[in-house]
Amino acid sequence: MLYSANSTINNTASESIQGDVSVFLEKLSDREFQRLYTQPATCLAIFRLLPDLAKQFIMRLLYIKKDVPLEHIKGWCYEQYTDKVDDSLQRLYKLHICTKNENDEIRMSKVFQENLNNALIGSGNHTSFGSTSTSIDKHKVDIDFLDKHGTEQWEAVLHYMVGANIRKKPSPAVLKLLERSGLMAKKDDDVKDEFSVFTKVDINELQITNKGFQFLLQDVNTQVWAFLIQYLNMVDDLKMDLVEVLNFLFQLGSLQLGADYSVESLTPTQQQMLNDLKHLGIIYQRKRGSKRFYPTRLATSLTSGSMLISKPSTEDSGFIILETNSRIYAYTDSPLQISVLNLFVVLKARFANMVVGMITRDSIRSALNHGITADQIITYLRTHAHPEMKKNMPILPLTVVDQIRLWEMERNRLKDEKGYLYHEFARAEDFQEVLNYAKQYNVVKWSNVKKRMLVVTMEGHIKVRAYIKKRIGSKQSSQHRQQQQQQMLQQRH
Amino acid sequence: MSLPNPNAQYGKRSREASVELDPYLPKKAKLELVNTQEGYNENNQDKNDSIYIKENYTSLQLKPDHRSRPLWVCDDGRIILEAFSPIAEQAQDFLVAISEPVTRPANIHEYKLTPYSLYAAVSVGLETEDIIDVLNRLSKIPVSDTIKNFIRDCTLSYGKVKLVLKHNRYFVESTHPDILQKLLKDPVILNAKVISVANKADLMTEKAPNSKDIQIAGLNKKPENKEQEQDKTNEKKKEEDDQFGAVISLEKEDEDEELIRDEVVHSFEINSECVEEVKKRCCEIDYPMLEEYDFKNDTLNTNLEIDLKPTTMIRPYQEKCLSKMFGNGRARSGIIVLPCGAGKTLVGITAACTIKKSTLVLCTSAVSVEQWAREFKQWSNIKDSQIAKFTSETKEKFMGDAGIVISTYTMVTHTGKRAYDTNKMMEFLRSKEWGFLLLDEVHVVPANVFRKVLTTVAAHTKMGLTATLVREDDKIDDLNFLIGPKLYEANWMDLAQKGHIANVQCAEVWCNVTPEFYREYLKRSSRIRRLLYAMNPIKFQVCQYLIKYHESRGDKIIVFSDNVFALKQYAIKLNKPYIYGPTSQTERLRILQQFQNNPNLNTLFLSKVGDTSLDLPEATCLIQISSHYGSRRQEAQRLGRILRAKRRNDEGFNAFFYSLVSKDTEEMLYSTKRQQFLIDQGYSFKVITHLEGIENMKDLVFGSHDEQIELLNSTLNATKEDEEEEGLAQSDDVAVNNRGRGISRYGFTTRRETTLKSHSGGDDMAYIEYNKSAAAAAIQKKRNPLFKKYRK
Repeated sequence: MLYSANSTINNTASESIQGDVSVFLEKLSDREFQRLYTQPATCLAIFRLLPDLAKQFIMRLLYIKKDVPLEHIKGWCYEQYTDKVDDSLQRLYKLHICTKNENDEIRMSKVFQENLNNALIGSGNHTSFGSTSTSIDKHKVDIDFLDKHGTEQWEAVLHYMVGANIRKKPSPAVLKLLERSGLMAKKDDDVKDEFSVFTKVDINELQITNKGFQFLLQDVNTQVWAFLIQYLNMVDDLKMDLVEVLNFLFQLGSLQLGADYSVESLTPTQQQMLNDLKHLGIIYQRKRGSKRFYPTRLATSLTSGSMLISKPSTEDSGFIILETNSRIYAYTDSPLQISVLNLFVVLKARFANMVVGMITRDSIRSALNHGITADQIITYLRTHAHPEMKKNMPILPLTVVDQIRLWEMERNRLKDEKGYLYHEFARAEDFQEVLNYAKQYNVVKWSNVKKRMLVVTMEGHIKVRAYIKKRIGSKQSSQHRQQQQQQMLQQRH
Repeated sequence: MSLPNPNAQYGKRSREASVELDPYLPKKAKLELVNTQEGYNENNQDKNDSIYIKENYTSLQLKPDHRSRPLWVCDDGRIILEAFSPIAEQAQDFLVAISEPVTRPANIHEYKLTPYSLYAAVSVGLETEDIIDVLNRLSKIPVSDTIKNFIRDCTLSYGKVKLVLKHNRYFVESTHPDILQKLLKDPVILNAKVISVANKADLMTEKAPNSKDIQIAGLNKKPENKEQEQDKTNEKKKEEDDQFGAVISLEKEDEDEELIRDEVVHSFEINSECVEEVKKRCCEIDYPMLEEYDFKNDTLNTNLEIDLKPTTMIRPYQEKCLSKMFGNGRARSGIIVLPCGAGKTLVGITAACTIKKSTLVLCTSAVSVEQWAREFKQWSNIKDSQIAKFTSETKEKFMGDAGIVISTYTMVTHTGKRAYDTNKMMEFLRSKEWGFLLLDEVHVVPANVFRKVLTTVAAHTKMGLTATLVREDDKIDDLNFLIGPKLYEANWMDLAQKGHIANVQCAEVWCNVTPEFYREYLKRSSRIRRLLYAMNPIKFQVCQYLIKYHESRGDKIIVFSDNVFALKQYAIKLNKPYIYGPTSQTERLRILQQFQNNPNLNTLFLSKVGDTSLDLPEATCLIQISSHYGSRRQEAQRLGRILRAKRRNDEGFNAFFYSLVSKDTEEMLYSTKRQQFLIDQGYSFKVITHLEGIENMKDLVFGSHDEQIELLNSTLNATKEDEEEEGLAQSDDVAVNNRGRGISRYGFTTRRETTLKSHSGGDDMAYIEYNKSAAAAAIQKKRNPLFKKYRK
């Protein structure tokens, strides 16, 4: 076809949101890994995070007690997939599940082997999968309640981020997390807004950052993990044991929704965590010091992949209709979702179950100014597209998608190149001679005869400088100074 | 449930404004719904809600079964419809009847209630409370009092009184005797009443007319089948009705209509001399009269022997238009909006065949006069002697008492001196009583011209045809009252899906501007800027590339350029024929014929003259290199040139519409504006930033830097002479001759061509967006200052 797509736009997100726990894990030491693997629940959770092929290898190696030559493993797959085999093995090495010895033999970590086995066959004596409360809860809660509680708590945090709900301030621990993760920042003292005098703004008041805006556009699973990873990064400051924290997180992922678990089997560190996680809505505890806790869906879906948000509710099954005329109709009454939309949509009218808005150049530009990328907007729109939209292929109207990308491209039209500026030539002849010389080698970026100024490329600089030096040596007349300067050259597309 | 505050008001009626008003316009025509959302926000907005949305209707609670109802109604009259709802089709039919479609893309449509649209609704027989009732039934949220009051205000007095021409006598007719009594209390109207009975206030009563009495031409071929089909659809509808249970039964309206038809109507006769006066008076007292023509019972005007040829088939939507027009057995006046190429002409002809009285057709140019005459002969069995053309070149009269005259607006409204035979012809037109006045392309003709036409020509029924009822100024609003309400507006996307018009791929191609051109562009005045962005060498190359690409695909291409200088340069450089204002009639016909029949001639360059009424079904690709500012209408009209593509029903056929714009120039802004109408119709414009393979193309024009500089110089030098040409090419709408511009200098022939070129209508005389504030101020002056604040 004649049309050339504009999709090849290099996307340089300032700082992407880290929501993948395995990337975090790879930083750990071997000792920490082996301690982690003492918990069957952790082994199982990490096993789940692996790619399919790696899972396959583990299952085959699980009951082999001796080293296996690498060729054998490679022999399990067709030759054309050697790349994938290598990738999978790399993952296993990085997670210290397998090691390769000098004879090119693969050995599985004994600890991991034993405890994954325990997890699978249910043997061993451990409380890794949590110990259910022995007594009956007088205040028993059901799954609906937990879902509601989890969503409310989590959204309260997000609400706070977008400033939609100032009434309910999250707990200090959450605030600290928000600040540490760079999702929110203290108001910059230098740029106090002019009304601050009148409104008595708390200096400690946090403000959402560009990273925070990006964060809002992610799905819940990524958001939760991003938070937890930040939590893991802060573990040292909180004087907590990283391995225990990780083990507890993985344990949470294996708990059963709707069941209540006993606090007693947890280590003190883990009990402390319980308190922090409570505020995020990951677990529910009726009151502080209660002997039991319930995991919410946010917890139980931690390690079950990305489809975990799937809660049987209409909002999540897609609520946005984007039309070719750039209008957006979003079936939602959630202030949070409306706030998120408000980031890049001009909202026009709001009904009890729907908001009407429009994507305009200005609205997209303001989002871009907040550090949100066009791709993030498009992905958000696509994942939340209304079922009616999902009937079409492509889901979103191409023209609008292109337009959003074009608006982003508009901003990247200035290209900078380094160059050298020569100025303050004493005499016009000198300038002219240098200019001619530079032109010879085609290194002139810009010149102005009247002002006797000249910019040459980095490569040209050496030659031009040498030439000028030579001239000074012979005539001792021209005075010049060089200045390195970043020359912004307007590059017209 | 708390309903919005009682203070909520929609604008005000201008009755209270002590300003002079157009006597032909009823006062409520300027009624406006203005959003008074302040009340809502104060009362209902969550104080902690940081998002401020101007219109907050969250206080209007959803009905429990809102999922099965398809629409929301805003307080400013906007209606948002879920087009994917199972009952959307019925809802659409209803909404088209009561409101103006604003935008109709794939999933969600928007409509707007306006006084005009409601006027149209009542004129086709809908009742106030039915409108409110059905709207409420369809709406997910309760319809607010603001809207209800607005609908009541706009409809209660509208459409209740009809002026009926029957047995050659004028009757004022209404189903509500009390209204007639009220009218009779007015001295002017009372004086006009023909006193036939002793009692002055006596009314005549009779059975209301029924649509069963009439058969629209072309629909009477298989009446029985038709009936059966109708039964079937009725049954089907009933089933659907059961399905959606109590939620909606739109058919109720139909039943209501039936009921009305069986009712008796009351009427009194008025003197024919006083008709104008009564009409005016009725508008003044806010009972504008609908005009109906009982042509079956008109014995004074001779019948015209005309019928559709048996081979002529009319399409379902055309039938819909006609059924709206002849809904109650009489002919209503009104406007019909169909996309270009959807067969407006045939609708007009069928209507003429139904009325079977003398018909006057007014169109915009001599070329269209020819086309109309041809179409009449093609579709109907009219005798050659019965059809006459009246242009500056031909002045014919038809034989006998009844016949058809086809002319242009300019001929009829010209005020200056006329040639002897023209005067004769005008007298002829004036002396006749026309059964049917057909107005083609009504959007190009501003209200004052119409007024002139209407005073010159006495016609019983008026029908306006157009594709694009948009103008950048607001001169079209009045048409609703001058011609009649909008009877039907088709959905473009719908027709395209059903294959009645071609599928079109629209694209906006961004052409870089070479640095030299851009430098000049930044320095120069706006007139030269326009020239520079049209003459941009990159655009030249893109145009060449596209022509080559589409010629190789076997497309026939039309290239449009508003700028005459650019038109010539492009055409000459690329070695293609071109047509513009000064091209003679014979030359035009020769080129057009070649274009249609010669396989070696596949590309044609056209100036504004080709914007409208040019029937070229061979064309399948359109490239626009320069255009008239932000005229939405021109864009739509140009697109219309390829909608009737002959090959449209080939499988996978697409027509192409390219708009070339120079990047970073004003053109981009205009381009966005221009597309708005089509985007609202559901079209989407793809932006192309790079054409693949263009750099590898051989013989690319202006490939070298030197050539580009040369082009730049010639562009800058040519400016002066070009300006003159352009000045000649630029003219206003049909209204131009009223200003007397250029008439004496160029004589008749040139004048006609001047008009021809103006069909885009968007030239600077009429295009008003620049000084919107001034225009707004002018309008405001007419209104009471009190209500200023309600306006945007």
